Amino acid sequence: MILVPITYKGGVYQHDMILELVEDLGGYVIQKQVMAQEVVLQLMVPRDDIDAIRAMAKPMAGEVTLSPLVGTEIAVISPSLEIHHLPHTSCDVAEYLREYGAKTNMIGLSRGFGKRIAQLNVEERDVINEHDLAVYVLGNFETCIARKFPALRRGIHVPIVVVGGPSREALERAIDPPVEGYVGGVGRVMHRFKRPEEIEKLEEIVSEVSRVMDRVREEIAKDPLSILPAHLMDIISDRLPELHEVTSPTPITVQMAGLRVKLPYDRFAERLRELPIDGDLRIGSVADISPSRMRNYILLKIRPFSETNIMV
Amino acid sequence: MALDYFEVECPEPVGGEYYRRIASDVLQDQNLLRVVDRLHIFIDPGIPLFVAVGTMRKLPPFVTVADFAEVAVREDRAVITLGNEAYLAPLLSVLWERFGRQNVDQPDRFTVVVHGANPELHAIDGMHVSNPSEGVYKDLIYAFLHIAPEGFKVRRQQFVDGKFYFAASEDTLPEDVVDGIVRERFRRMGVTL
Repeated sequence: MILVPITYKGGVYQHDMILELVEDLGGYVIQKQVMAQEVVLQLMVPRDDIDAIRAMAKPMAGEVTLSPLVGTEIAVISPSLEIHHLPHTSCDVAEYLREYGAKTNMIGLSRGFGKRIAQLNVEERDVINEHDLAVYVLGNFETCIARKFPALRRGIHVPIVVVGGPSREALERAIDPPVEGYVGGVGRVMHRFKRPEEIEKLEEIVSEVSRVMDRVREEIAKDPLSILPAHLMDIISDRLPELHEVTSPTPITVQMAGLRVKLPYDRFAERLRELPIDGDLRIGSVADISPSRMRNYILLKIRPFSETNIMV
Repeated sequence: MALDYFEVECPEPVGGEYYRRIASDVLQDQNLLRVVDRLHIFIDPGIPLFVAVGTMRKLPPFVTVADFAEVAVREDRAVITLGNEAYLAPLLSVLWERFGRQNVDQPDRFTVVVHGANPELHAIDGMHVSNPSEGVYKDLIYAFLHIAPEGFKVRRQQFVDGKFYFAASEDTLPEDVVDGIVRERFRRMGVTL
C-alpha cells in the first residue's frame, strides 16, 4: 500500500467523518489545525483511496489537494537575522513550503554574513542536520556565494537546495561540489513576493524541493523503514498522555525517517524507548532515540529493515 | 522611480539589477524619493566595495502652519484646523513655548485652540513648525545601510552642500580608491564634487 500525502481544507462541521474515513482506509493524520470555522488536515492516505475522500468531502465543500511535502521537516537557512536577509525572501520561501505541507523551521545564522567571515557553528550544524533537507536562501552575487558557501555547508549531510539571486546555471557553476538542488533568480529583495513571476519562482522552489525529497523517498524504499513514521506517531500519541499538554501545534513532528517528539529528553526518553508497539516489540528496538539540539526535545530515528529485521 | 538620474553599476549584471530594485524599494519605503535627485550606485562584490553617490533636491526651508492647517482667529482665540496630522507634535511644542501650556487646548485630534492677544494670534499662520532638511541626512544614511550588502561594516559617508556619498566595505576602505571612484561617479552624473 503506497501512502500519498494530501491536505484537506474544509469546514469544522462533520470533519470527524473525514478523520474516521482516513482511519478506516489505513491512513494517518499528520497534523490537524482548527482555525475558527475552518479545519486543515495534513494526511497520509492510500493512493487508490483519494477519490473516496474527495467524494466524501464534496457535499461538505471540503477541498482535497496533493501536498508533496507533508511529513517532511525542512530547515530554511538565512545567512543572518538582519533586515538584509529577513523579512521577505526567506519568510516567503518558508511560508510557501508550508503551503505544500512541509514543517519548516527558519534558522538565522549568527555569523553567516560577509563573504570573508561567514561561518557555521557546531550547534547550527547539528540543528540543520536534524532536518530532512536544508534550503539555503542566499544573496544576489555569484562571487559571494562561491566564496562563502563552502563555509556554510561544512559538516551538513542532509540534502541541500540552494536558492539565490544568480541564474540556476551561475549557481551550479559557483557551487562545488554540487548540491542536490538549485533555484536561481530568487535573491535578496526588499518586498514580499507578490508579482506573478515571483510566485512562479516560489513554485519552482517547491518543485525542486519535492524532486529532491522524492529521490530521498526512493532511497528509503530500497531499504524500507522498520515502521512508518506516521504509524509510530500514532502509537506514541496514543500512549503518552503528556503529549496532549504540549502547546506546540505539532507535539510530534513527522520526518521522512523519524520523529521529533517535543517532550524533555531527560524525563521521557527512557519511557519512550520502552513503549510497546506490538506485543513484546518496544520502540527502542526499531528506533534510535537521542537528544535533539533543538530545545530539549527528543529525536527519534527509525532504523531500516536491514538492521532490525522487523517490519511493522 | 522619480529620480532625474539613476544608475547601478556592477560587474555582475544580475546582481546589479537586484540592487536597482532594492534601492528603489528602500527609498520608496523610507519616503526619500522626493528628496533624492540623482543617484549612482557602484557595487563590486570582488573588491568588495559599495559606493552610492548622489545629489539632493532643494527642499523648502521651513514648514509653516499655513502649509498644513487653517487658522481662524476670533478676538482672543484662534482655532487651528489640521489638514495633516504629521506636524501635530512639533506644532504643539511651538505653541506651548510661545503661548504657554495653559493657553493651548486640543479638543480633538484635528483641532487646536489657542488663547492669547489678537495680533499674536494672527502671526500663527506664518510660524515655522519644522525644518524638512533636518534629519534628512540621517534618513538617507539609514536607507543606504539597508541597501548596502550585509557585512559591509566599514563605512565612510559625507554630506555637503546637497551632495552626498556613502561608501561601505567588508575590509578597510583605501582612501584613494574610494575618492577616485566617488569623484569619477559624480563626474558621470555631470556633477563636480
